Amino acid sequence: MNAIDDWTLVGESILRREDAYLLRGQGKFVDDLPVPQNTVHLGFVCSPFAHANITGIDISRAVALPGVIDVLTGNDFVGDILPFKPDIKIEGYREISRPVVATDTVRFVGEYVAVVLAETPYIAQDAIELVDVEYDPLPAVARIEDALDREAPVIFESLGDNVIFKSHFETEGFADHFASVEHVLEGEFHLGRVTGVPIEPRGCLGVIDPVADSYTLWTTTQVPHVVRTAIADHLRLPESIIRVVTPAVGGGFGVKSHIYPDELIVVALMRRYRRAVKWIQDRREELLSDAHAREHIHRIKVAVDAEAVIQAVELKLQTNGGAYANYPFSCTLEATGAARMLPGPYRIRNYKYDVVSVVTNTAPTGAYRGTGQPSCFLAIESMMDRIGRELNIDPADVRLRNLVQPEEFPYVNAVGVRYDTGSYKESLEKALEISGYREYKNRQPKDRLIDGKYRGIGICNYTEVSGTGAPGWRVRGFAKMPGFDSSRVVIEPDGRVAVYLSQADAGQGHYTTFAQVAADRLGVAWSDVTVIEGDTSKTPFGTGTFASRGSVVGGGSIIRCCEKVSAKVKRIVGEMLEIDPSDLVLSDGRVYPLGTPDKGLTLKQVAETAYSMNDIAMPEGEEHGLEATDYYDPPMVTMANGTHVVQAAVDPGDGTVEIERYFIVHDCGRVINPMIVRGQIHGATAQGIGEALMEEIVYDEDGQLLNANLLDYVLPLVLDIPDMEIAHIETPSIDTVGGIKGTAEGGLTGAVPAVANAVCDALSGLGINISRVPLRPSFILAQIDKAAG
Amino acid sequence: MKPAPFKLCMPEEEQEILALLQSYGRDARILAGGQSLVPLMNMRIMQPQVLISLNRCTSLSYINAQGNGIAVGARTRQAEIEESEQIASRLSLLSKAMPYVGVRSSRNFGTVCGSLAHADPLAELPSVAAALDARFQLASVRGTREVSADEFYIGALTNCLEPDEMLRQVLFPALPPNSKSVFVEVSTRTHGFAVVGLAMCASIDSSAICRDVRLAAMGVSETTLRLRSAEAMLEGNTLSAELIDEVSRAATETMNPPHDIHADGNYRKRVACTLIKRALSEVVQR
Repeated sequence: MNAIDDWTLVGESILRREDAYLLRGQGKFVDDLPVPQNTVHLGFVCSPFAHANITGIDISRAVALPGVIDVLTGNDFVGDILPFKPDIKIEGYREISRPVVATDTVRFVGEYVAVVLAETPYIAQDAIELVDVEYDPLPAVARIEDALDREAPVIFESLGDNVIFKSHFETEGFADHFASVEHVLEGEFHLGRVTGVPIEPRGCLGVIDPVADSYTLWTTTQVPHVVRTAIADHLRLPESIIRVVTPAVGGGFGVKSHIYPDELIVVALMRRYRRAVKWIQDRREELLSDAHAREHIHRIKVAVDAEAVIQAVELKLQTNGGAYANYPFSCTLEATGAARMLPGPYRIRNYKYDVVSVVTNTAPTGAYRGTGQPSCFLAIESMMDRIGRELNIDPADVRLRNLVQPEEFPYVNAVGVRYDTGSYKESLEKALEISGYREYKNRQPKDRLIDGKYRGIGICNYTEVSGTGAPGWRVRGFAKMPGFDSSRVVIEPDGRVAVYLSQADAGQGHYTTFAQVAADRLGVAWSDVTVIEGDTSKTPFGTGTFASRGSVVGGGSIIRCCEKVSAKVKRIVGEMLEIDPSDLVLSDGRVYPLGTPDKGLTLKQVAETAYSMNDIAMPEGEEHGLEATDYYDPPMVTMANGTHVVQAAVDPGDGTVEIERYFIVHDCGRVINPMIVRGQIHGATAQGIGEALMEEIVYDEDGQLLNANLLDYVLPLVLDIPDMEIAHIETPSIDTVGGIKGTAEGGLTGAVPAVANAVCDALSGLGINISRVPLRPSFILAQIDKAAG
Repeated sequence: MKPAPFKLCMPEEEQEILALLQSYGRDARILAGGQSLVPLMNMRIMQPQVLISLNRCTSLSYINAQGNGIAVGARTRQAEIEESEQIASRLSLLSKAMPYVGVRSSRNFGTVCGSLAHADPLAELPSVAAALDARFQLASVRGTREVSADEFYIGALTNCLEPDEMLRQVLFPALPPNSKSVFVEVSTRTHGFAVVGLAMCASIDSSAICRDVRLAAMGVSETTLRLRSAEAMLEGNTLSAELIDEVSRAATETMNPPHDIHADGNYRKRVACTLIKRALSEVVQR
């Protein structure tokens, strides 16, 4: 429907405008903003217990410290700030609520117990240690299996047990289809708990305007408009007096698409004390209490015929939701994501799933790059390899036999998700070709041992949910996620262009790519477009930047908005030149009749008329100004796709994995800026390698988080990341404006299963099936030893 | 990342440092490069009341030939060691281990003596010092004394320094000219805190007979561990594949390494065995 075939700048690798300041260290992040005199600095007293009753809080020593303004506890916020209750409207979900500061009971290590207000952040930190909290420890549960135990302590009495979400789905006649098939393969896959670890932890600065009686909150968020609505809802304030601004933000990865207690507390306290309020998070606090992700267990049964064609799949999925429902996604984001996306690029017509999410005494879980997809593709892609081994068919061929075929698009999968376009077969074939997969397989010895190391090759095909619109959020029960994004495009009196967008950049390069889109559509120089976003007072309402939606929804809205503005330009010029507006084109900053560029006007000349700065009147009935606003709600989802192929070597002496070659084919529809797309792929793949090989948040069984620092939460460094050989396929969406699909998560989604499968192939001579990530050297060596007996 | 209040002293003379140490004693910590101490203070795991900085005392910054060895002063940066030709030619083990110590940016400020005194069980330099039979010179207003690595290290993050003493310098006896050195380690990622590591030096003659073998392992006990029984098994013997197997097995059999979230004791033991084999095989091949 929205095919565009006259792109000019879209598709060019324009250098990032942001790099001029970010690479020089001149970006202004929230902690770099000048603070007003008399600013109050906050510190949070965090629970050291995973589960305990608070029996007393003595603040006397803390408030006696010079420079301490006040110390507040949970009861001081009751009535002032409503508890979080993320209104998840999906069958099987049971609501729980979270006070912004604990009142009677703490439920995870790191939960806020008291707030210190001080003249400096150092004094606040000193005072934290002087707040004496008395706890009566309760038995805690940290792991899924412990939470489901009959004898387990119940974390929320209102639930009666520890199950927060249960969901069941099956296609018609599932049981009969499943029973009629000869081979049934079973697998169990565990994913460790991880988190996004943006380079900049979170922080807030609240500034009060006494004249307007309004409140500005500078905060590190991916969703400024959603934050503003949440503040208004929970503090019962008019939205019109709240302004939410994002300065430069150092990475979000989904972690910053939630609304956190501190954001509400900062606003409440600036109202109460009539002073600016600032809080900057420490890395330890970030690892303890920002949204965690994964910690899933998949138990999967695949019924497959003798030709390796999958006839039915049954999934039992358990996820650890953590202690509370994060706002606004709760723990159902990953649970529904993983269960619904498991069919991926495969023609799986008979599908059944049962999902159980539990509450435990661990940090609340939520969004992190890939959301559910690295998890479900680890399960299904590992099963593809197992089918190959079982039936003695090459795993690449198993995949080829099961993919949705090119002639089947648009395709609706078993759970009702529409795949508008895709290049699944082409992508896999291209990946096999550039990686030399067939030759590698032909050369590969049965024991996989080459030069003293076990060497193997792994594949992952993936689909990538992107650009989710309102129907996509509603079907998964999210009432507080609008789905649309919006833009206002203004041709200024000087003929240059301003784009006001409802989103918020966290390093993705919005100021470059969106300028590129607008310049392309309005026929102006890229350098003449300014992009303004991340400020609720300047931009129209919208959803924000997460879940691979920025380019699809922001880009789509800008394209539509530019069409509206250029239509007005054409009407004005048509009248002036007495030409049919449809014969006019916008190019090189000018408007002219097609084929006769010297006959037209500059945009500046048109703007002079629009802003009444010359003697030429506007056409009859045309308003002044030269701008438009557009609200674009995309379809349920648009589906990107790709394939990763990894060659890995396992050292039998120490269990370390070396990634020897890395190949990626990806298809995100129309590419706006290929260089930036490659950056997204590099970054996401690096995070996927981390999740596959080393990253894991570790809780002991009492709910103590054992590695809340970056020495012990092991992230990959640049030396762990191999060169990636990347090939593009461009299959534009037929459902989204401009044919754009998202691309921020596929790298991570592809990497986790592809790396695991490469390791598994390397160890297949020993009969080892990999059934969990991360694949740390100690885990791998134990597997090798076990196999050796 | 906000340390507790502390007083910072920045003396320029060594005598002043020692005088301050004497007057503040247990309340004071020496600040050299700060690459371990400052993060621990930021996390408030350590809260010294006084920091005595060596950074203005330039006389403690040196790499000097002393007797039959090379002395490294308390303020000498790790990067200086990494770049020193003198160290590369006479103490190749130290040179080879340097790239594994922290990262380049931390080595620009981190000091050799600071890392040695910090006594982290997973730091490279204590094992290098042990394998090199280094002498630790401890100074106070009461005078100086010299101890070996065995005497200096008491446990994880614990050394034998008295409250009024500082590690003034470390003296590395030069290696024999035909000595070969190997440093190997294994970690969860390519570059980061190791799980297990091994420092080794040995002289191997043309008929593969070993002399002056010294092996020190990290990550297998609370402090660096000299593998003296392995050294004795190798001394004067021909380095054959069988001997390498035998030594690596015997040396690790009795180890009882710690367990943490990165690896269990059994893994550390297995990898220590692998590393001994790797190190010995490497010197044979050279």
